[in-house]
Amino acid sequence: MKSGMRSVIKSMKTKKLTLARRLSQGFFLLLFLFLFIETESKGADELGPPVRLFLDFDPLILITTLLAAHKAAVAFYLSLILIAITLVFGRVFCGWACPLGTLHNLVGLFKKHADPVLKIQWLKYLVLVFLLVSSLFTLQLVGFLDPISLLIRSLSLSVYPLFAKAISSVFDTAFEYGPAWLSAMSEPVYGALKESVLPFNEPHYRQAVFIGFLFMLVLLANLYERRFWCRHLCPLGALLGLLSRNAMVSRRVSEGCTGCGACEAVCQGAAKPHVPAAYRVEECFACNNCDDVCPEGAVFFGRRRGAAPLPIDLGRRKLVTATLAGVVAVPLLRIGPKELRPEPLLIRPPGALAEREFLRTCVRCGECMKVCITGGLQPAFLEAGAEGLWTPVLVPRIGYCEYRCTLCGQVCPTGAIERLEVDKKVRVKIGLAMVDKGRCLPWAHGIPCIVCEEVCPTPKKAVWFREESFEDRRGRIVKLKVPMVDLKLCTGCGICETLCPVPDWPAIRVTSVGESRSEDNQLLI
Amino acid sequence: MKRRDFIISTGVAGAGMLVPGALGALASTAAEGAPDLAIATGDDPAKTTRAAVEALGGMDLFVNKGEKVVVKPNMAWDRTPEYAANSNPAVVAEVVKMCLESGASQVLVFDRSVNDPRRCYEQSGIRAAAEAAGAKVVHIDGRRFRKVSIPGATVLKTWEFYSEVLDADALINVPIAKHHGLARLTMGMKNWMGVIGKRRSVIHQKLDAALVDISRVIRPRLTVLDAVRILTANGPQGGSLGDVKRLDTVVAGTDQVSVDSFGASLFGLKGSDLGYVREAEAAGLGTADLSALNIVRIKA
Repeated sequence: MKSGMRSVIKSMKTKKLTLARRLSQGFFLLLFLFLFIETESKGADELGPPVRLFLDFDPLILITTLLAAHKAAVAFYLSLILIAITLVFGRVFCGWACPLGTLHNLVGLFKKHADPVLKIQWLKYLVLVFLLVSSLFTLQLVGFLDPISLLIRSLSLSVYPLFAKAISSVFDTAFEYGPAWLSAMSEPVYGALKESVLPFNEPHYRQAVFIGFLFMLVLLANLYERRFWCRHLCPLGALLGLLSRNAMVSRRVSEGCTGCGACEAVCQGAAKPHVPAAYRVEECFACNNCDDVCPEGAVFFGRRRGAAPLPIDLGRRKLVTATLAGVVAVPLLRIGPKELRPEPLLIRPPGALAEREFLRTCVRCGECMKVCITGGLQPAFLEAGAEGLWTPVLVPRIGYCEYRCTLCGQVCPTGAIERLEVDKKVRVKIGLAMVDKGRCLPWAHGIPCIVCEEVCPTPKKAVWFREESFEDRRGRIVKLKVPMVDLKLCTGCGICETLCPVPDWPAIRVTSVGESRSEDNQLLI
Repeated sequence: MKRRDFIISTGVAGAGMLVPGALGALASTAAEGAPDLAIATGDDPAKTTRAAVEALGGMDLFVNKGEKVVVKPNMAWDRTPEYAANSNPAVVAEVVKMCLESGASQVLVFDRSVNDPRRCYEQSGIRAAAEAAGAKVVHIDGRRFRKVSIPGATVLKTWEFYSEVLDADALINVPIAKHHGLARLTMGMKNWMGVIGKRRSVIHQKLDAALVDISRVIRPRLTVLDAVRILTANGPQGGSLGDVKRLDTVVAGTDQVSVDSFGASLFGLKGSDLGYVREAEAAGLGTADLSALNIVRIKA
């Protein structure tokens, strides 16, 4: 009777903990999504909300950036807070806060049967070793697998564009083909969505399908084994796991444990909770499920007592392999032809560090591409070599660099794109425009145009015109304004290329030559 | 329907006033009947705007009770007001206010900008000012353009126009006077490029004729030209205060050809120096000859 009471009280208490965890997960996921959606201009110079907050809290980015670029991320002190939290409470970030982890939980709801635990939890430590070693030798690959970078990039470049396209297609169909009463109903809803969750401009990114496919694989892995990514692959999880081994708060099991195994099935981290002697503290997300489910009420989280955690034995071969892979990756990703000549299409955003520093610093989180006001910043494919995959490049035919906009530098978590004030930004060259006289309407065809001059934003126009006289086919003299580019004034913003009326291959094009950040890629003496 | 009636009636009235108008212009100050152009000057852009419109007969002449009005400023560029690349926000706001005072049921303000619309709306100061004055400031919705055939057009036989403009009861044009590389100056007629659809950059091939064709469709009841600050070089977006000249002037008129013709004089040019003004007059869309107009000047 008495013990029955106790277990009821106990179960109420633990259910409260599970509820608290779920609320916390929901809160952080919503916060993440809110900050994600707010990563968009409203027309002012500043964004307002601290949109890169989750990246600022990421200690993995801090460490690899310190190793690879010998400098600290912009707001690195926030990640020290997460380190401190982990040292005290264990891997609570994974269980209580990580937005990607919560998405894994949600997808995992579709898996009804107990998980077969793949015995590859060591893999994530090797991933971590690989990333740390390669970054020690200046190769910054963390962004491919860092969960926050991966999530923001996948959402920005693929999921959100898909979401926007799907929603607007429905409303556009109702608007264009539906009867009047239908659009009278749907348009206010669409307007409200546009004010809240939809992007201002429909986003379009190169490689969106590929990046989305990889993200889908990461999520679908939960249907094979729940939290597959977190258990086996996540390098941040591995780092936090290592930090959590001597956490002050830890899971404890009392004498009452009968070894029934109820906790095994609900353990999110596959930490072997059912065999106290084999329990892996570094795999525990502190999700409290074991506490909740224990029929004996024998589990609770409290001040750590007892023996030191079990040692992690990765095996010498695996460690050596991961280390060597980290070392070999450095030259391997740099043997492409990129070093031979500047790449004309490698137009980096304004404020981007010199290319070598840039690649050491950029974590390809996609924040800059998400926030780019014209959508011109795109994930690189091979423009920056294999090492530069998914780093930002400006593609002026898609969108130009808005002259007075400084948002990409504001959202960059690592300072790969420096934050510049407007008066400084407008003096940064990201490339130079040159006229293709063979395609230009006035130059090649004797037809007036001069749109490039009109839209050129520099106070004294970099694109200027002079009057030229042409003899047309019938021998008449035609006077025309033809565009010229003042290479000293041109910043390479690319608006001339974006808006050039030649619809396919533009008659004025920007290439990276003349970019302020490079000493070598210069044309003028 | 209503709008067409109005245009016809004002057109007839305008023709009737041609002769006394010319006499009035000679006298150069007050004249009997409504003047063709009102030129107001003063330190306060809002007061100057109001004075110009009142000298023309007041906003009640142009906006009737319950009408839906579109006020079209130039806010095409990501520039703050002092650079004179966009219409002065105080001028736009005052026009909005007067429309509402005359009983307009709704005043819409928008522009199809060249730079990012969010930045243009904010940085120009127009969104804030017009909303404070009671306007509904909206972004262009790419789905709301309608194809229009233009009878008598020489270049744009058919083109897309923004449906809110086509469906408005009354249009009020609030351009700014500034330099433009190809057109020389951009003022009233060219401001309507901000309501056409498709890839409008191609119309620069025959810009003057295209602007005239646009003016065959878009017939504002009133044009209020902002010359509080004018941009004298490196237009249409400027960027250097050295190119900005403060004139503290607002010009109001019902005939935008006349307004543009007068606007040219602010830059030391004549209306006939502008191709689109010449062609518009030849097409019978308005009067460019300032000596034929009744022009009043007011100090606000």
